[in-house]
Amino acid sequence: MLKKIVKYFVMFFLGFCFLLPFLIMVLSSLKETTYASLDPLFWLPDNPSLNNFIYLFRNDNFLRWIFNSIVVTIIPVFSQMFFAGVLGYIFARKQFVGKEIIFWTFMAVIMIPQQLLIIPKFIMFSKFGWINEYQALIIPELWAIMGVFLVRQFMQGIPMELDEAARMDGANDFQVFRKIYMPLAFPSIATVGTFAFVSNWNDLFQPLIYMTNEKMYPITVGLASTLNKEGNFGIEMAGATLSFIPTFLIFLFFQKYFTEGIQMSGLK
Amino acid sequence: MVNHNKMTLKNEKKVKRPLKQRIKDEWRKNALVYIILVPILAHFLVFQVIPFIYSFILTFLNYRIIGVSEFVGLRNWMQFFNDDIAWKSIWNTLLFSFYYIVPTMALGLILALVIKSGIRFTKLIKGVFFLPVVTSFVVVAGIWEWLFSGTESGFINYLLSFIGVNTQLFLSDSSQALIVLAGLSIFKVSGSTMIYYFAGLQSIPKEMYEAAKIDGASPLKSFWLITFPLLKPIHFYVLIITTIGSFQIFDSAYLLTSGGPNFSTSTIVYYLYTIGFTNLNFSYAAVLSYVLFAIILVISLIQRKYFGNDQNIY
Repeated sequence: MLKKIVKYFVMFFLGFCFLLPFLIMVLSSLKETTYASLDPLFWLPDNPSLNNFIYLFRNDNFLRWIFNSIVVTIIPVFSQMFFAGVLGYIFARKQFVGKEIIFWTFMAVIMIPQQLLIIPKFIMFSKFGWINEYQALIIPELWAIMGVFLVRQFMQGIPMELDEAARMDGANDFQVFRKIYMPLAFPSIATVGTFAFVSNWNDLFQPLIYMTNEKMYPITVGLASTLNKEGNFGIEMAGATLSFIPTFLIFLFFQKYFTEGIQMSGLK
Repeated sequence: MVNHNKMTLKNEKKVKRPLKQRIKDEWRKNALVYIILVPILAHFLVFQVIPFIYSFILTFLNYRIIGVSEFVGLRNWMQFFNDDIAWKSIWNTLLFSFYYIVPTMALGLILALVIKSGIRFTKLIKGVFFLPVVTSFVVVAGIWEWLFSGTESGFINYLLSFIGVNTQLFLSDSSQALIVLAGLSIFKVSGSTMIYYFAGLQSIPKEMYEAAKIDGASPLKSFWLITFPLLKPIHFYVLIITTIGSFQIFDSAYLLTSGGPNFSTSTIVYYLYTIGFTNLNFSYAAVLSYVLFAIILVISLIQRKYFGNDQNIY
């Protein structure tokens, strides 16, 4: 009995420690206060107000940043899911010339850190006229190698007999993919989608470099720019809370896909 | 002679027709492959392969944004070997790894043990532990900046005052700033190491613990003699991914300290960023990015040596 109490205590204590920063964030966002006059416990709830949020919604840039983030996140999410599905199927089940070489080239390229490509990509995008355009953040992210790998692994576990039976009934490649592989491998495809959402929504490094015009910032870069400028902790935390809500909702509804998928890949 | 010619012509026709037929068959069989793979390979070439090669070429140029770039041989590489801040950034990154890797692994293992302990609410708490993983660095850093403000009103300083510790400077102290940044990363990443460890714990057969219990082993003893050694592949895998992650650290240094104070939090990627996009010296930044690549390559090769080509744990 005592042992159980200790277990519960440890679990809830650790849980509290992990939750506290988020709690402080949400509670601070409901306080009108300036950075200088903060006392350590100012965030404890008494007379909450929504003024910080109202301030942000009146600020044109803020809504624009949220909109930008949605644009550069949603398109890659669906595109990555589609391509992970089709390419996963191709590499798991199709036979064609050069299949192994192509696949292992892809796998080798995973080792290249994205920071290595940022300078040549910046030069390239300047020539394309993509600086301060959505394309710079969308087009390179249309498919992701890791997602293909994840779905391929999953599809290799689907029994061949299903595939063969469907072909006997006269189904073509596309139908086999759509009616058999796509639904059966959906958990892995959903994992790709959730990862793509989180990594694109949270990305700071790439938009910091490709987006130099304030109007084109996604919410991460926008928040980072106010973090040093605003000097008002309540407003900063209101912004942080708003930018956190979409990832939180995605996480709440798709938690299963995150935790299952992470065992197969390496989300940082 | 004429006859012979006819023969070869006939033969050629015989070879050619099946080839056409073969292409047709191949198309019928693999149309999907070609329709999808051709644009994907083009995309791969443009956004991965060409930048990778071009970046290497850049290291030998004096790249000018306007005007003609000139070939300068190994000058940029020589600059790297004489650049104290570059070496300091590498040292800082190593130091960061030192502060970050083992605590992240240990905390991840502890969290995994907590949610594996068979009590109620573990599913909910698992979500809580994982929450920072999906949260952006910008959000966590915003909170962190306030928690660790170096004044009496900072929350951590307030907590420390109860155990009689004086007000610490934290982010403004060159010997503490990197530790605070490591703390942020530990908080953010241990939820994902927890998942790896959780999977590892589930693969350990229950019978082993029962046998140990019969032999009178204490829970602590069975942890050190059974759990810990059997998690060896997980330890190694987690070690590799946290190490690679720690060499790519940028966001928190950019957001909280801008590499300071006195370059004490200037990491490789942060330094690369300032050289490339503050100083606009693309060629030298390319050299730094290749240094980063070399380090990560060595770590990855060690991983491949132990785990084969598949990145799977099992």
